[in-house]
Amino acid sequence: MNGERGNTVLLTLMLVGLGAWWALPVVSVAPNRIVPGEARYAWEVAGPAMALLASLPMGLAALSARSADPGWRSLGLVLLALAGLPLWLGLSEHQLVDPELPQARLGIGSGIWCALFVLMLALLDLRTRQRLSTGVSWLLMLTPLALLAVCLPLGLERLALWQEYQGRADDFWLAIGEHLLLVSTTVGVSLVLGAGIALLMRRYPGVQRGAFAVLNFLQTIPSLALFGLLLGPLAWLANRYPWLDSLGISGIGWAPALLALVAYSLLPMVRNTFVALEGVSPGVIEAARGMGMSRLQIFFQVRLPLAVPVLLEGVRITTVQAIGLTAVAALIGAGGLGRFIFQGLGQAAMDLVLLGALPILVMAIFADAVLGNLSRRLGRGEAA
Amino acid sequence: MIELINISKRFGSTTAVDSISLKVESGEFCCLVGTSGCGKSTTLRMINRLIEHSDGEIHIDQQPIRSFKEEALRRRIGYAIQSTGLFPHWTVARNIGLVPRLLKWPKSKVDARVEELMTLLGLSMDEFAGKYPDQLSGGQAQRVGVARALAADPDILLMDEPFGALDPITRESLQLELRDLQARLGKTIVFVTHDMDEALALADRLVVMHEGRIMQQGHPLSVLREPANDFVASLLGGEDRGLKEAALLPVSERMMPLGTGGVARERIDQGASLREALSVMLWRRVERLAVVDDDDIPIGELSFRRLVGARIHD
Repeated sequence: MNGERGNTVLLTLMLVGLGAWWALPVVSVAPNRIVPGEARYAWEVAGPAMALLASLPMGLAALSARSADPGWRSLGLVLLALAGLPLWLGLSEHQLVDPELPQARLGIGSGIWCALFVLMLALLDLRTRQRLSTGVSWLLMLTPLALLAVCLPLGLERLALWQEYQGRADDFWLAIGEHLLLVSTTVGVSLVLGAGIALLMRRYPGVQRGAFAVLNFLQTIPSLALFGLLLGPLAWLANRYPWLDSLGISGIGWAPALLALVAYSLLPMVRNTFVALEGVSPGVIEAARGMGMSRLQIFFQVRLPLAVPVLLEGVRITTVQAIGLTAVAALIGAGGLGRFIFQGLGQAAMDLVLLGALPILVMAIFADAVLGNLSRRLGRGEAA
Repeated sequence: MIELINISKRFGSTTAVDSISLKVESGEFCCLVGTSGCGKSTTLRMINRLIEHSDGEIHIDQQPIRSFKEEALRRRIGYAIQSTGLFPHWTVARNIGLVPRLLKWPKSKVDARVEELMTLLGLSMDEFAGKYPDQLSGGQAQRVGVARALAADPDILLMDEPFGALDPITRESLQLELRDLQARLGKTIVFVTHDMDEALALADRLVVMHEGRIMQQGHPLSVLREPANDFVASLLGGEDRGLKEAALLPVSERMMPLGTGGVARERIDQGASLREALSVMLWRRVERLAVVDDDDIPIGELSFRRLVGARIHD
């Protein structure tokens, strides 16, 4: 019997979800791209009965949360509710969007966003309670996404987000590629540099204070200012040395973006690498020396493997941070998904902003989960 | 054989070890005992060059230790420490096989040796070989630590408070096993501890250190009976010394042949210590015990007067 009072987390989440479903507009309809959409509540889509039916899984999940052992039943209901969201969007499109108007579109309202959010939280909670393996829970998390992908070309052509995507599909994938390239280059470069600096710091204690001071200072400069600061010197260098220019290095574009991103990434990377290497128990190192291991053997067979989990933690923090910062780098012409965000802001087209922001969100969550998982696994000593 | 000749160690302006000389014969169990900061650990760690000595000479089997390469020297000396220092990312078997692998033994020989040592230390191969150190109890981890130290069959074993973190019961059983192991394998052991009872129970040669100097050394009984100064006497427990001495002497030492007055009701094993015999007398409120052999057959008797060592003229 776990918990006589049932699952209060699930109960709260479901009540919040129901509240959002009934109190917030679930969709909005706009005749074209520029005009702000008109908000519609759940009962305005296809009558109160349909709205009630759609909110039934959440209601049942709330009820089942009160019983003592709601595990699998609740999980099923939450998944059902998640699967219902794209279907609901399809229904709304069918009911509300005038097929005569080619530019008319359907926006996702705050009610659906809220419901999606609390349902995801509920899924996370149930995952922990049911002790699902990582693979299974990932599959569960991906089901609503997969369902959405299936529904999009079939019955959701008028979804504003989808329309924005279709207008610039090639551009979208190019931007994702640019974004990933910039992030991975940043993480790669700062890992190598960061490890080098951390090793120097261990060797020469004097370096330690200086390096941390500089890196901390860099971290305090606002990102946009740092991009701006690099503009002048790089433009001058490119002017003076044409071979730099031919490499694509100039005041704007990927070069200053990469420099600034690496500058920001160095602090978490250096700090984690340093702490990871220093944090290895002195007793273990002492024993390794006493057994007759050479310095190199101690470093590569003992200190480094024991440091890897904390080191990976640094890579995780750096990666997630770089994914977000790269969006800002679009302002100086570095490309990436930030482009859509700033274009959308400029055109007051919120769905275009979402088209840029959502993949960034997904990337960040994914990187966080994968690297976090890896570091936990290695920390438990599953890899020798 | 280990020989320290006028060894000193200075850290900056402080002298941790001050011109000590010490000779540990082959097969001898030598305990360095003293309060914390007396230089006993430093002395131990100078023997395998984890700390380099400032003055004097250390010889192992007549050869100065500086004539060996550091790593080569350490690989031929077993080393076990308090926190066990097991590598948390390696299995028990891999931990034990460390030094043989460093010495580039062929894999089959390493595996055989690991199995042999685990059996020797009462660790079941099936149960423990694949476990990680954090899955072991303190006593098990320490057994693995000792097995690792013995792995390459070194003649010399250095142990720095190896049982310091264990509970009293585990600690005592490991002490007995170590004593037994040493008797069987004939290793030369230098053992550092701040626990006088542990030192008395294990040592052939007791070395009492204080402020970087050796206050006294010799067989535990002779140190007990004739402490060189007040410090040694107080470290040995002051008035408790009588009990500590009794703990080192077996009942058989004071036993008398069976008398004609019938066998006493309370019994004591001939291998027990006089201290245990005294405890039985106090507890049972008797002055006479029957001494029995391993099969529980009376072979003699022990009176209170004999136990305290008074001369008996009858």
